[in-house]
Amino acid sequence: MAAVKQTVEHVASLEKYKHGFVTDIEQDFAPKGLNADIVRFISAKKNEPQWMLDWRLDAFERWLAMDEPDWAKVSFPRIDYQDSHYYAAPKEKVGINSLDEVDPDILETYKKLGIPLREQEVLAGVIGSPRYAVDAVFDSVSVVTTFKKELAQVGVIFCSMSEAIREHPELVKQYLGSVVPVSDNYFACLNAAVFSDGSFVYVPPGVRCPMELSTYFRINAENSGQFERTLIIADRQAYVSYLEGCTAPMRDENQLHAAVVELVTMDDAEIKYSTVQNWYPGDPETGKGGIYNFVTKRADCRGDRSKVSWTQVETGSSITWKYPSCILRGEGSSGEFYSIAITNGRQQADTGTKMIHLGANTRSRIISKGISAGKSSNTYRGLVSAHPKAKGARNFTQCDSLLIGKHCAAHTVPYIEARNGHSKFEHEATTTRLSEDQLFYAMQRGLSQEEAVQLLVNGFVKEVLQELPMEFAVEAQKLVAISLEGSVG
Amino acid sequence: MSVAAALKARNASALPSRRDEDWRWTDLRGLIRVLPEPSAPFNGIVVKGAFDRLADDHRVLVNGGVTRIEVAADRKAAVALRLIARGAGTHANQVIVSLAAGARLRLLETYESDGGSLAHTALTIALAEGAALERVVLAADHEDAVTISQAQVTLAPTADYGQTLLSSGARRQRLETRVAHPGGRASLRLDGVYVLAGKRHTDHTSVVTHQGLDGTTAQLTKGVVRDQARAVFQGKIIVSEGADHTDARMGHHALILSDRAEVDAKPELEIYADDVACAHGNTVGALDEDALFYACQRGIPEDEARAMLTEAFIGQVVDRIWFEDARKVARAWAAERLRA
Repeated sequence: MAAVKQTVEHVASLEKYKHGFVTDIEQDFAPKGLNADIVRFISAKKNEPQWMLDWRLDAFERWLAMDEPDWAKVSFPRIDYQDSHYYAAPKEKVGINSLDEVDPDILETYKKLGIPLREQEVLAGVIGSPRYAVDAVFDSVSVVTTFKKELAQVGVIFCSMSEAIREHPELVKQYLGSVVPVSDNYFACLNAAVFSDGSFVYVPPGVRCPMELSTYFRINAENSGQFERTLIIADRQAYVSYLEGCTAPMRDENQLHAAVVELVTMDDAEIKYSTVQNWYPGDPETGKGGIYNFVTKRADCRGDRSKVSWTQVETGSSITWKYPSCILRGEGSSGEFYSIAITNGRQQADTGTKMIHLGANTRSRIISKGISAGKSSNTYRGLVSAHPKAKGARNFTQCDSLLIGKHCAAHTVPYIEARNGHSKFEHEATTTRLSEDQLFYAMQRGLSQEEAVQLLVNGFVKEVLQELPMEFAVEAQKLVAISLEGSVG
Repeated sequence: MSVAAALKARNASALPSRRDEDWRWTDLRGLIRVLPEPSAPFNGIVVKGAFDRLADDHRVLVNGGVTRIEVAADRKAAVALRLIARGAGTHANQVIVSLAAGARLRLLETYESDGGSLAHTALTIALAEGAALERVVLAADHEDAVTISQAQVTLAPTADYGQTLLSSGARRQRLETRVAHPGGRASLRLDGVYVLAGKRHTDHTSVVTHQGLDGTTAQLTKGVVRDQARAVFQGKIIVSEGADHTDARMGHHALILSDRAEVDAKPELEIYADDVACAHGNTVGALDEDALFYACQRGIPEDEARAMLTEAFIGQVVDRIWFEDARKVARAWAAERLRA
């Protein structure tokens, strides 16, 4: 109840999108447009080895031959890929050694966003409170990664992608593109050509990562896109929990965010990947502006009994188009997908998951909660498939949609492909609106309509919120409330 | 291009393929490289049909043709409609059904074919206010036939439409039903049963569009697949803006009895109105081992127990057929295939 009360108080004190400010700093830009020279420019900016540049150029060649997909239930004007900067970075000061040398404006930005970049600030809290390491990505570059030393003591590598390419080329070569191949899809291919930064995590065998890892993505520059690439590897019996958050300024233009996230788990390893996505959703009245969030996320459960759990809270973006997936290859491996997708104003979301059962006795569980309000559209699209060898595969899917208002839309598009006689797939879906009776009950107990709606919505999404790491669950709960603000009455 | 148009133009490369979302699991273009020659007129004798006894009006289309079934206001009729393909040819059938206000019709339809045939049937079915139609379809095709049946159903308010498809598959078999549902207390029941063996394929596809207030749809499809058979279920319920108080339920449940059989399902909801109750459920799995064990330890031989359990599973759909005599035919048809 305390959390609910806090939500209500919080919402009352907030404007609609609190992260919409712009940080005014000097930036380096790549010239607008996209061609092989831009790819070379990005690679050179990052001092990449030749093999990485070749990899990018190959991806770019392939991308040129591909067509933009249009099957999702979203509509938007054609993207002009030449009208955007593919690289934007804060002007670099030579050789940053400590946080004090980072541009104070950037530090201020993260402070405003509530992201602790100073280790002592994180430590200053109550003793025993959970700590988490942060990799802060500002436009195209990672500005700082905290707790690296402490993590290195236990063998965990947590750094930006650019650093990983330089410092750990053998790991990057081995795993990069092994889960999401270069030409997997249009946007993943574009990402492979022009990706700028992102996080790299390697957890060695038998290590349980001592703290939560997180990356915070911030788009700041105008007319730019963000193309980050994240790679997380949990070796045998390793465990890591990783969280990403993201925000962007309020602008009238649409900005493209096309990321690729690859997860690899070996025998008995587990990765818990949580996302709280709060990109600028565009103007609720006109639909102008906002981020196009076209992301490819996939986990490869290579090892036996390995596990990947995706949790996502999708509240932002003008268009969300993503399907965090699990390839359940290892025997007895399991995948989970917990999702809350909220659309309001004129937002559009087409999101869900793919659970591909290849190994015997693999299990998956999908809980998806979609909420549409305003004039938005919210689609769950998911695939569950079992290969003939996936004997004993088990899936349970539940996707519920909640409609608030007369002009929104909710769709459910599940695909189920069962190819053997020893698997069991269950799927159920419901679409309803908020119960009048429950609303009435809450209101006659003294809650305002808005408060009552929040209370019921919190109940609706509770199952998913429970899966988030504690401190983020509270944050996400607030976000849910803010996203729905103004949707009633 | 639609199937009908591709066949009319005799252009095999215009047939839908797996790249068409609606046909992703029923690829025709990849299967049919060359269209069979147009079917020759048939002058032979046709043996009795499964529903002949249950209707006084018999319509038989062999190797293509057109038939109209009209029922005047407040009249009752029962029609046995047989769509037969003899020889390995291509042909098209057209069936136009219209029911005036308050009319009632039992439409008992069978598909019978020879190997190598490719038949397309387009049905247009319209029900006026207060009319009631029950359509029972027995698609007993040859294992090497290709049968595509596409029905377009238009309901008026307070109309009552019930449908049960029973199919045993073919090389490719697609039974498609599209319903324009006006709401207005019109009610719709769309059921299906499939029992597949060998390398047979069946595809039950439906699209129901709720366009007005107060409509109900109840949909239940159940199937059993064996050997290397493949079943496809695609059901879509659309609730248009303003079609509030729609109550739509869809269920699809399948049993896979071998490791090389396949079931593909896509139960879809597309909803643009908020005051609705819509749900779908989908399960695919093996026969319940516990139930089988229970039956066996009560002294029932395993084969018999399996037959009992699968018959009971399918029986739930068959029991929903309103017309008792048709229900008996359907039950016997299912039992025969389940025990084969």
